[in-house]
Amino acid sequence: MIDWYTANSVVIQATMTTLLLALSIQLPLRMGVFSFAGVGCFGIGGYTAAIAFTKFGMGTWTAVAFGTVLAGVLCYLLGLLVHKLTGLYLGMATIAFALIVSVVATNGGSLTGGASGLFGALGGITNLHVFLLLAVVIIGLAISEAGRFGRKIDTVREDPELAVALGINVTRYRKLTFLASGLIGGLAGAVTTLLRSTITPAEVNFHLVVVALTVIIIGGSSSWLGAFIGAVFITWLPTVLSFVAEWEPIIYGFVVALAAIFLPGGILGLVKDLRHRRGARRGSTPPPEEGAAAPPDDEPHAPEPSRTPVPSQGGAL
Amino acid sequence: MSRPSHDAAEPQMIFEADDVAVHFGGVKAVDGLSFGLPEGKIVGILGPNGSGKSTLVGAITRHVPLTRGTLRFLGKDYGNDRAHLVPHRGIARTFQTVRLLEERTVLENVLLGTDSLSGGGRAERRLAHERAQVAMQRTGCEHLAKERPDELSYGNRRRVEIARAIAMEPKLLLVDEPTAGMGRAEKEEVSALMMSLRAEGLTQLIVEHDVQMMVDTCDILLAMNFGKLIVEGEPRDVVRNPAVQEAYLGKQAVNHA
Repeated sequence: MIDWYTANSVVIQATMTTLLLALSIQLPLRMGVFSFAGVGCFGIGGYTAAIAFTKFGMGTWTAVAFGTVLAGVLCYLLGLLVHKLTGLYLGMATIAFALIVSVVATNGGSLTGGASGLFGALGGITNLHVFLLLAVVIIGLAISEAGRFGRKIDTVREDPELAVALGINVTRYRKLTFLASGLIGGLAGAVTTLLRSTITPAEVNFHLVVVALTVIIIGGSSSWLGAFIGAVFITWLPTVLSFVAEWEPIIYGFVVALAAIFLPGGILGLVKDLRHRRGARRGSTPPPEEGAAAPPDDEPHAPEPSRTPVPSQGGAL
Repeated sequence: MSRPSHDAAEPQMIFEADDVAVHFGGVKAVDGLSFGLPEGKIVGILGPNGSGKSTLVGAITRHVPLTRGTLRFLGKDYGNDRAHLVPHRGIARTFQTVRLLEERTVLENVLLGTDSLSGGGRAERRLAHERAQVAMQRTGCEHLAKERPDELSYGNRRRVEIARAIAMEPKLLLVDEPTAGMGRAEKEEVSALMMSLRAEGLTQLIVEHDVQMMVDTCDILLAMNFGKLIVEGEPRDVVRNPAVQEAYLGKQAVNHA
């Protein structure tokens, strides 16, 4: 066990930091907010922590705190500006935000190290530290998924108009999700940077959006557990697939495409569906074995076609 | 069965609209409506498609911004409220198409009615559960508590939606086409449910196409056309009114004969 851990400690670390980044994108998606601002915040958190650490001689944790809070505040301000946008437009605006962060970093002179970035920012962070930070984030997210809080968030995503009619302040939820997403993204950036000791503008780029989305699509967008499954999957897949050598990217691409097409709820969604179906079969209502999927059709009118959820993130991704 | 209540010894108005108008550009969807909802009565709004009924419901719930006019509920002007505050005042609604969370159980969907209106304490949550149970019993869907809505028939989905609204314990319930797509027996059940809610004092405003059901269920009917109120009064009188016959029943009466 200890040997295994030592041998894989780098991959474990990468799994945890990838998960943090993915969570910063998943939270707004769970709220129906199509925002990738978490990626820009990853850059802000990373650069702020690196600058605080190397230029101002701050300690590791002060630097991480600075990066996290600054990213959260800037993301909240961005949210005030763009929270009324939806769907693709919001997606584009927040991707532009990430690109602006990258451009500012490239042109930031000696403060940001220009195109070659910042070096020598090796903080004293261990895997245990990352694990504990991750645990705090996950506990917070798990609370937001459980009970009435979880139901309300689901309603804000699936049907904002209904949410309002039930007394939920949808605007406030949307604004606060920017703050939370920024904090998590900033934390992810700060921790990743001080672990690796460097950050460059090229790292704060569109590929982070792809990584985060891949994690969420494969694992499932509805819960942190989905992001966890996805993060484990994509960080470990290259290791597992290394024997296929140059075919690896193709297989990787196939897996992602198949997940997007056949697993709208990700791996987690599949597991939940199976469990629900088995539960229903055991339950008091006697469902026909094979026709379990067909709705009971004893009504004079066909069931209305299910509404298309407004900007449904779960299915559409 | 029902009395012409608005003419009798002036009942307490729980809700009043005064000169309410909603214009979309040049379209006057609702154009200067004034009416009141007497406490504990069922008021129905009748009108052909596009006459402004649903816009009116949207205006009452503050979903649609008013062009002019005032809205008063329990004596207070709430015309400047943001929409999410309206349920907190005691106004609940159902939608023309049933809107439920498909991934959640029936019980959870009904609990949603309580989630924003009650606190998160242990006692309050238990109370919310009890309210949800009662609401499900009232609408006859308590045996479906563990099912998912996407496994239910249309009639049962409608029951769940009404249960969710009842769980909000509103003082005024707005019901947008509750029996659309239902068979006669189901319509009568919904009608009976509304009358039993009235017996408990719940004021209701119904928008509905089924004239027979409206006549049977409502205490007062308002007939709308082109965003304006054309007739208001005792249901049987309203449906016999020539202006109403022309605007609405002319086409539909055949179907309901």
